[in-house]
Amino acid sequence: MEAFDALMGGFAIALQPTTLMWGFIGCFVGTLVGVLPGIGPALTIALLLPLTYHVPATSMFVMFAGIYYGAAYGGSTTSILLNTPGESAAVVTALEGNKMARRGRAGQALATAAIGSFIAGTIGTLALTFFAPLVVDAALAFGPAEYFSLMVLSLVAVSAVLGNSMLRGLVALSLGLLLGMIGVDLQTGQPRFTFGRPELLDGIEVTVAAVGLFAVGEAMYLAWQGRESKGGEVMKLSGSLWMSKKDWGRSWKAWFRGAFYGFPIGAMPAGGAELPTLLSYYTEKKLSKHPEEFGHGAIEGVAGPEAANNAAAAGVLMPLLTLGIPTSATAAIMLSAFEGYGIQTGPQLFSQQGGLVWTLIASLYIGNVILLVLNLPLVSLWVKLLKIPPPWLYAGIIVISTAGVYGAGNSVFNVGLLFVFGLLGYLMRRFDFPAAPLIVGLILAPMAEQSMRQALTISQGEWSTFFTRPLSGSLMAVSLLLLVAPALWQRLRARPAP
Amino acid sequence: MTPLRLALWLLAVCGVAAWQLTVIPQSLMQMTVGPVLAPAAIVAGLTLVALVYGLSAWRGHQVDLSQEAGQEALPGSTTRLLSLLAGGLVFITLVIPLGFVLPAALCGMCIARAFDAPLNAKSALICGLIATVFWVVFARLLGVGLGPALPFWV
Repeated sequence: MEAFDALMGGFAIALQPTTLMWGFIGCFVGTLVGVLPGIGPALTIALLLPLTYHVPATSMFVMFAGIYYGAAYGGSTTSILLNTPGESAAVVTALEGNKMARRGRAGQALATAAIGSFIAGTIGTLALTFFAPLVVDAALAFGPAEYFSLMVLSLVAVSAVLGNSMLRGLVALSLGLLLGMIGVDLQTGQPRFTFGRPELLDGIEVTVAAVGLFAVGEAMYLAWQGRESKGGEVMKLSGSLWMSKKDWGRSWKAWFRGAFYGFPIGAMPAGGAELPTLLSYYTEKKLSKHPEEFGHGAIEGVAGPEAANNAAAAGVLMPLLTLGIPTSATAAIMLSAFEGYGIQTGPQLFSQQGGLVWTLIASLYIGNVILLVLNLPLVSLWVKLLKIPPPWLYAGIIVISTAGVYGAGNSVFNVGLLFVFGLLGYLMRRFDFPAAPLIVGLILAPMAEQSMRQALTISQGEWSTFFTRPLSGSLMAVSLLLLVAPALWQRLRARPAP
Repeated sequence: MTPLRLALWLLAVCGVAAWQLTVIPQSLMQMTVGPVLAPAAIVAGLTLVALVYGLSAWRGHQVDLSQEAGQEALPGSTTRLLSLLAGGLVFITLVIPLGFVLPAALCGMCIARAFDAPLNAKSALICGLIATVFWVVFARLLGVGLGPALPFWV
């Protein structure tokens, strides 16, 4: 009941015209970046971070939430019409959605994706509303040792479970942690890894790293490849946007199943949105009365994964808002934005910044409605965006990236660093290293070090504190399991049957 | 570049990081964990995973996505990459003496060139427009400090 009252307070602020306007801008920009290949919500939020000094925190986070949800909506349009997922979680949507478009049912594919996103986004937000306070209550029992172990779990999960290779994930994570150590050690005041450059004393800006890896790195890879300028085939927006009774009948169960996969998995440290979308796809394929349509444009194959994707987006906000732990690149950038405002994340966020958090959650409900309205009627506008020639699209992306980084501190050194990170992003893209562990590592490294020091001070230098305290020990055990289990599982599977 | 060469680069980074560890000044404060422990552990971890990656690459187990069918770079890849990097260099060199718009427009032209657009008046016009719009939106409307639009801007 307390959560409900607080949520109503959040609605009172979120429905004020100014906050509503920022929410609308966020949803619009989010859909735009979801549609356009090469830009994602992490990059967009990173680029907008310089604005955080000029706009009130509540408005800015409402806009960020709109961007985050909007990108999840917009990604489906590119998947269905261009067969090029705007973001990784929309890959599964492309499997069936593009086939539907080729069969002249693009309108219905877009409709089931948008309505499913709305329903699942609302279910995910409802779950966030009522489960978040419970997690906060549990998290208040956390001490520095538990926080350190939780961060270790989060780092291991992001590196070892997501992506195609645990080894490459761990390399990216280690690089991120190393970059996170650059600058003055806050406890002793000693400079570390600065090469005597005063520009590095404050550490590496998250904005510079994220924008360099995601925007400049992607552009470098595509330019180097030279295939982007040849363009992809954008499918015509065929078929009515109205779904038939049969389409509704085949979609609604998939939406709910997708939502129930998406939220809990998204809320886990290792969750992300890729796993629930895949699980949803295979479940729908298994349960469908028309399994022969899968691979040729089955509507359930669009409805379920899209719902899972949006519910997972709500799930990812759970550890971020309740524990201050980011489990995706976008969440890591949002955490950095909280820091930019001097807001302490973690369980105390709900008590100290209750108004902000509940307004943010209320704006997610409103954002879902805005996105449903934005997506379907404006779909022809989004289709036009897909036809922007790559040279002008990428010129715009890099110029806005450079402007964002330069505008944050008028530092040409940071612009140089942006292109260095771009080169790193190009190499990571080419050799299939995931970028999220690097960003999460960069942000969590100083926080984890601080928690470790506090825990060791309390325990008078006893390292066993991380393993003997029940909760901390359990978290460490899960981390170890995540590191070891996949390799063991692979070895067992490779062993020939007796 | 191959995965093996990348591993060697990674190991070189580890070497530089290890050297930087030795120049971290000792803290005069009495504390349980000093400023070197966490960075040293991270450098050790990075060295270990870089070695494993190198070994795996040497055995041919690591991927280069550009070697997959349909993903290979088309001729002129180095020129395109250099063109994009030149865009960054132009911006860095000119933004302080010339203000934001001209360097950003030139940077945009280099990026567009990297995506096979010719260096002509049309490109200059479009990139100039992009740079001007961004300057107006960011600097004028949102108050972000991008500096003057042009060198003689008041």
